Amino acid sequence: MLKSCLAILLFVACSLTHATTIDVRLCIKSGSLTLSGGNSLEVVTYSNTNLFLENSALLVWNLGDVVNLTVVNNDSEEHGFNADGLVSYSTISSGDSSTQTINLSNAGVFRYNDNVNSPFNAYLGLSGIIHVKDPSDLTPYFYWDIREIHSDWNPILTNSGIVNITDYDPDFFTVNGNHNPNINLDTIARVTGNVGVEFKIVLVNNGLSIHSMHFHGYHLFNIDDSRSPAFIGREKDTFPLYPHEHLVLSCTPDKPGEYPVHDHNLVAVTGGQEYATGMFLTLLIAP
Amino acid sequence: MIKLILSLSLVLISLDCLAQIDYSKLIIGRNTGTKTLHDGNVTKVFGFTETLNEVTDTPGPTIRVTEGDTVQIDFWNVSQGAPHTIHLHGLDVNQENDGVPHLSFAVNHMDHGYYQFKAPHPGTYIYHCHVVSTIHVQAGMYGVIIVEPSNGSTNTTWVGGETFDRDILLTASEIDTNWHTEAVLDHEHDPANPISVFVPEDYIPQYFLVNGLSETQLADPLNHYTTGANEDIFIRLVNIGYYGVRYVFPVSMNARTILSDGRPLPQDFVNDTIEVLPGERYGTLIQTGTEAFYNVDVEYFNMNTQVVASSQQVTLRTSLASINKLELNLVIYPNPSGNGIFHAVNAFTADYAVYDVDGEMVLKSSEQLIDLSKQKPGMYIIRYQGSAVKLCVQ
Repeated sequence: MLKSCLAILLFVACSLTHATTIDVRLCIKSGSLTLSGGNSLEVVTYSNTNLFLENSALLVWNLGDVVNLTVVNNDSEEHGFNADGLVSYSTISSGDSSTQTINLSNAGVFRYNDNVNSPFNAYLGLSGIIHVKDPSDLTPYFYWDIREIHSDWNPILTNSGIVNITDYDPDFFTVNGNHNPNINLDTIARVTGNVGVEFKIVLVNNGLSIHSMHFHGYHLFNIDDSRSPAFIGREKDTFPLYPHEHLVLSCTPDKPGEYPVHDHNLVAVTGGQEYATGMFLTLLIAP
Repeated sequence: MIKLILSLSLVLISLDCLAQIDYSKLIIGRNTGTKTLHDGNVTKVFGFTETLNEVTDTPGPTIRVTEGDTVQIDFWNVSQGAPHTIHLHGLDVNQENDGVPHLSFAVNHMDHGYYQFKAPHPGTYIYHCHVVSTIHVQAGMYGVIIVEPSNGSTNTTWVGGETFDRDILLTASEIDTNWHTEAVLDHEHDPANPISVFVPEDYIPQYFLVNGLSETQLADPLNHYTTGANEDIFIRLVNIGYYGVRYVFPVSMNARTILSDGRPLPQDFVNDTIEVLPGERYGTLIQTGTEAFYNVDVEYFNMNTQVVASSQQVTLRTSLASINKLELNLVIYPNPSGNGIFHAVNAFTADYAVYDVDGEMVLKSSEQLIDLSKQKPGMYIIRYQGSAVKLCVQ
């Protein structure tokens, strides 16, 4: 819960009609990510607080706003910041910072990441979600920052080591840095809704694996698909989500209940070989 | 007296419930199956059967129901092991019937569990056990549910949809035999903590299956799929494995995908390659011609590295009778022809087309004299209104 509260940076405009200028500061910090079974691994993330965050900050801004974004590198290695279609920074040395102004002229979902040592720094945690929202869109949104972890890799990569991408064999699978059942305590991820009331889910794959996200109970509509715009409009129960791509799904539940969502590569519902402490969460729909 | 009234009420309620069920199916959960793989190795499997006497194999029986029907699956667990369930994948059932043990119910050894649903949109769905699903699905507890249109048609994609001559189901999965040991399959089951079970460290399948078969098993003519010449075929593509799958059809089959996960696609897509990820289903229309065989390649790729780990081949065999029947409709002489000039007995009322062996059209005409004199010696195919004949230029 605390993780979620810290992770979200939700700037709701005071007025829906006036652009707002906001200052945002993201600090690159390294620290420890808690995994299932009492395991932990070193990761590097973008934090919007003075504290280390286990999962990079979720950034939700309003269309039309102006953001002065300062990225501070508190890590010992050089890093960057990039969000395709939105902003790109030059390399930021250890101890330095860089500021750019972003005019939010297009609504949508953007994946941000460190483009230094790509894709490994992003894999280590330096990647996240930016959502530029149309303020007139009052639909409840939920955010799933999906990634997996190959636990042998993190000690190597955080010590500037080299890994072979063809050896990638992740053993932990997370949503917003959480595993089942803790994911359901994350109010940003855990869908709570009501019959007849639309909700939307933003899914961003910040990992290196393909995920095949299966929904119990409902078919959802694909309303935004960064990899395959031709897939927009499809009504499905299982959605392909490729590395570094995003989906936005819409659902108006027709019945109450608690319904699982999980990767149907069923290895990904495990964590550290334990079933079902991986990528598995539930939708909770009230009458 | 009160007891009698209550009993009568219960009987009436039961009868009322029964009256509402349009289709009922007994499915038995077993954990005593053995499966012979293409290289002769035998591995232990779990599975679903319809009777106690039949061999437990994977996939389980295909269940066909009609759109709008109220369906009841009477699930009988005869496994002597962990509880099992049936998850109705994609059928959008309510929580009680969803088959996830800690959110609905689990069915213990020798117990029955009853799952009810109203068959929704026509299409292809999956059923599988959701108890320690990572292990139980790999073990083989899966099958397919096909919902046919409410008009009773078995050769229409949906009411008002497209027609086809036959449908073929291709279900992809894999087997890693290290997940089929007694130590893994006979896992402990703690009713107090029903979802915590350890799985093997790595998933590295050695066998890549289509409808439970691989390699030489698929190559065996007994396992080929017989079609007719010039047929429209609806292929139901399913992936219940943990690898991604690409089904690759011959270009000449004009594969056109129209359905996914039980819903028509807003836009069809024409592509000979259809990628189906774990849990997805697609409906693809293909066309046969008069070739004797059509091979469909099935590639399996690792979801983490995207490296292709295996390629299997499914063969569609065109029945000779159907080809001969078509040839009777087109009488052409001389064949072979020494100068490339052929004559048709038939008078053509529309254009015919002649193709070379690469599928390139070399002539389009309605003349009874078929002039291939400028073509290289070799085999050609003339197609006319659903008929086709091979022409040989010497």
